Amino acid sequence: MADPVLELKDVCKSFGALKASDHVSLDLRAGEIHALIGPNGAGKSTLIAQIAGSLAPDSGSIHFDGQDVTHLGPSARARLGLARSFQISAVVPGFTVAQNILLAVQARAGRSYTMWSKADDMASDQVARWADMVGLSDRLGAAASDIAHGERRRLEIAMALAMRPKAFVLDEPMAGMGTEGVSAMTSLLDPLRLQAPILLVEHDMQAVFALADRVSVLVYGRIIATGTVAQIRRDPLVRQAYLGDEA
Amino acid sequence: MIAEKHLNWLISAVLLAVPVAAWLAGEVYTVTLATRVAVLALAGVGLNLALGSGGLVSLGHAAFFGAGGYAMGILASHAQSYQPLMEWPFLIEGTKSMPVIWLVAIASGAISALAIGVLSLRTSGVYFIMITLAFGQMFYYFAISWPAYGGEDGLSIYVRNGFPGLDTLQPIQFFALCYALLIVALVLCARINASPFGLALNAVRQSAQRVETVGLSPLRLRLTAFVLSGAITALAGALFADLNRFVSPTMFSWQTSGEIMVFVILGGVGRLYGPVIGAAVFIMLEHWLGGVSEYWQLFLGVLLLGVVLFARGGLIGVFARRRVGHG
Repeated sequence: MADPVLELKDVCKSFGALKASDHVSLDLRAGEIHALIGPNGAGKSTLIAQIAGSLAPDSGSIHFDGQDVTHLGPSARARLGLARSFQISAVVPGFTVAQNILLAVQARAGRSYTMWSKADDMASDQVARWADMVGLSDRLGAAASDIAHGERRRLEIAMALAMRPKAFVLDEPMAGMGTEGVSAMTSLLDPLRLQAPILLVEHDMQAVFALADRVSVLVYGRIIATGTVAQIRRDPLVRQAYLGDEA
Repeated sequence: MIAEKHLNWLISAVLLAVPVAAWLAGEVYTVTLATRVAVLALAGVGLNLALGSGGLVSLGHAAFFGAGGYAMGILASHAQSYQPLMEWPFLIEGTKSMPVIWLVAIASGAISALAIGVLSLRTSGVYFIMITLAFGQMFYYFAISWPAYGGEDGLSIYVRNGFPGLDTLQPIQFFALCYALLIVALVLCARINASPFGLALNAVRQSAQRVETVGLSPLRLRLTAFVLSGAITALAGALFADLNRFVSPTMFSWQTSGEIMVFVILGGVGRLYGPVIGAAVFIMLEHWLGGVSEYWQLFLGVLLLGVVLFARGGLIGVFARRRVGHG
């Protein structure tokens, strides 16, 4: 079997006495959606921050695309092909939808230090393509601060796509969405795994069970189980710690 | 309300027409005032690139303004005393040629901005303001305590430096030079703002985290903008020194940094022509109200307060709407 795209080995991170990540080992393989679930305060956000590079682990290693990235910052990891979305939408509020996508397109093309040509001219077909993939074609001219919550989430996905990443790390892409929004986002994410594997942090269990090839359960900073959806739903430890009656 | 582009054309035309008319009418002093406006506007255009586009509130741009001024002062003073700057390991002589002086000024501004930027851009907010202020004051005290170039008294240059084919001692010809450089800098900034780099820089100002996520380094983008900004302000410093035929440590003082920032805020932060209208209003107030009362800055303060409180786009914003999004 091929090497995993993203691999965490024995990652530890403590804040004082609190062990936010306790010997976390986790991998993301080509073609899969790997969901990371766990109760509030389990350390999911801390783990995502370490994967993205905005927080350095105390010990352990993180490999991405065959390279040790443990000590690289977030922009270097993004350049290697790690695309992430945030729990709270992070788009450039004063830009239009098109300009947000353009930012990612030109970064990917290595043109962000070009000063003499016009930004809009260079990639409108690419911008249109990524917007079309997430269903924002008719919102290109709208200000990112004015569009609906669900649209902003899709814009983030479009920006991640425009980076042509080797892996996606999506932090609660369904958060704050209604049932309809969740099902739309589910059908948007489903085929994405063919472009690059997805590490999906999500609270919505319907979505997780519909999408995930594998699920890891994080409780008190430790992975207590990893397996297929069916295995996780049966796991007594998981039922007790997290799922309760929902499974 | 008119389009910002048309307002910009109008400002350019007025800034050209007033001194030309004054020159035809024989009012030399007005030509000099217009030259001051053009030069100080250029300094503001430099700051606006860092402050408006990059969101970098630098209270140390006097360092670059002064660096440009002293680049002119040092080169010209050596030329007028026929003493080379250095003879070993290679000979560097002074010069009275404006193009050479401008290049040296731009280079010294860029190098100072690179050094200051590398050290200060790791901080943000009030710390960045304080660190840039501290660097500016460092340059100021260095200039005061450097007797070779006049120390506290500054340096006088007796004859204005030359430009091939022009008589720079003719006020209108020197104005034309300053005006041309201002327009070049404005075109350059307009192009930069509309470019991929401008988009990325604008994004850094709004959300550095977002920019990091697409794989760009906010620090590198800010540093690039800061160096360009310092280079433009230094060029203005060289022209200012030539206008007065005098360089002194005052060019490095924090009051100078503050004045450059006032031009930008008064005219409109991030608006292309903000510093031009800001410098023009500043000079007009200084000229007219300065004649009425030596406390004319009280009125400037009231105006500035009004702009900050009620007109977020500065004076440009009062007259011209802004489009949605970048650019």
